Amino acid sequence: MTEPERDPRILQAYGDLGHEAPPAALDAAILAAARRRGARWHVPVAAAAALVLAVGVALVVQREELRSNEEVALAPQVIATPEPAARREKLADARKLERTVPAAAPPAPVAASPAPLAEAAGRADQAPASAAARIAPQPAEDRAASVAGAVHKSDAVGKVQSPADWLKRIAELREAGRHQEADERLAGFRRRYPDYEIPEAMRARVLPR
Amino acid sequence: MLAYRQGDAGAFETLYARHKGPLYRFVLRAVRERGLAEELFQEIWMRVIEARSRYEARARFTTWLYTIAHHRLTDHWRKRRLRLVEIEDVDPPAPRGDEPEARTAGRQDLQRLASALAALPELQREAFLLHAEAGMSVAQIAEATGANEEAAKSRLRYALGKLRSALDHD
Repeated sequence: MTEPERDPRILQAYGDLGHEAPPAALDAAILAAARRRGARWHVPVAAAAALVLAVGVALVVQREELRSNEEVALAPQVIATPEPAARREKLADARKLERTVPAAAPPAPVAASPAPLAEAAGRADQAPASAAARIAPQPAEDRAASVAGAVHKSDAVGKVQSPADWLKRIAELREAGRHQEADERLAGFRRRYPDYEIPEAMRARVLPR
Repeated sequence: MLAYRQGDAGAFETLYARHKGPLYRFVLRAVRERGLAEELFQEIWMRVIEARSRYEARARFTTWLYTIAHHRLTDHWRKRRLRLVEIEDVDPPAPRGDEPEARTAGRQDLQRLASALAALPELQREAFLLHAEAGMSVAQIAEATGANEEAAKSRLRYALGKLRSALDHD
């Protein structure tokens, strides 16, 4: 395709007609609209990313809590299954444990086979109250000390987070401004250690603000 | 445009700065009414913004932009059934030169050119404006206006011939 011959004289004269430009207000309006639409484009992406992150964190927290609850729920089953003679011994051991372990250090988490989350959640909901829930109240410091000791024993056989570690983690979440996660963890802590009295020094750091 | 499509607002500002002048003059001289030109100019850019997700790098951005402008002008002419009449508000500036006679002659040349441009049929004027403002070739004019290349070439040639005649007329 041959181009029509360029005529510099016409283009020069046309250029002399003027170089009008849109008014500044029109520029500003168009650029603002472009930014707004650009923002609209980005905000949902950022929101979706934040949502995915939040859901992921919530699932991890929930899974941790379910695992903990499952361990608590399984404790009576472990006690109930042995033969009568052995059972009596186990029950005696369990009563002894009740006296020393107020805050439900779960005895045999390792023995529990993995179960689907929903099933585990159901068991946790139906589980009888833990041994810790039935004992007479003790001073907070004593209970904290005995719980810590029991948890230390539990750590030898399975991964159980001690109340102190649990509270420390909640305090860290609060300090990071992740209050929703902190609230969820605190709720899990309450379910796990219903009678645990949070030390005064820790109270301000872990309770909802 | 691809960068803007991916959320880079700065990329749009660069595109806008590069194309706003030629596009504005293209629209202004096509419709010859400043208020209307501003309205159409804004609408064209809004369509660019809204259509960003559909933009593909198959065509030059310039061609894509003027295709949108062509469609908007076509809509406008169809609705208004605009007739080509005299220039309403184009008052050409005095050409460069110190001699009063030369200035007067130059000014008359510009008046004749402006009148001839305004008197061109819409499609010829559009072809010339795409050539003069956007620097488009015949093939690009054809693509932007949805015409075949023979038609685009013919429109541009007729437009240039009439404008040349206007300048040559003493």
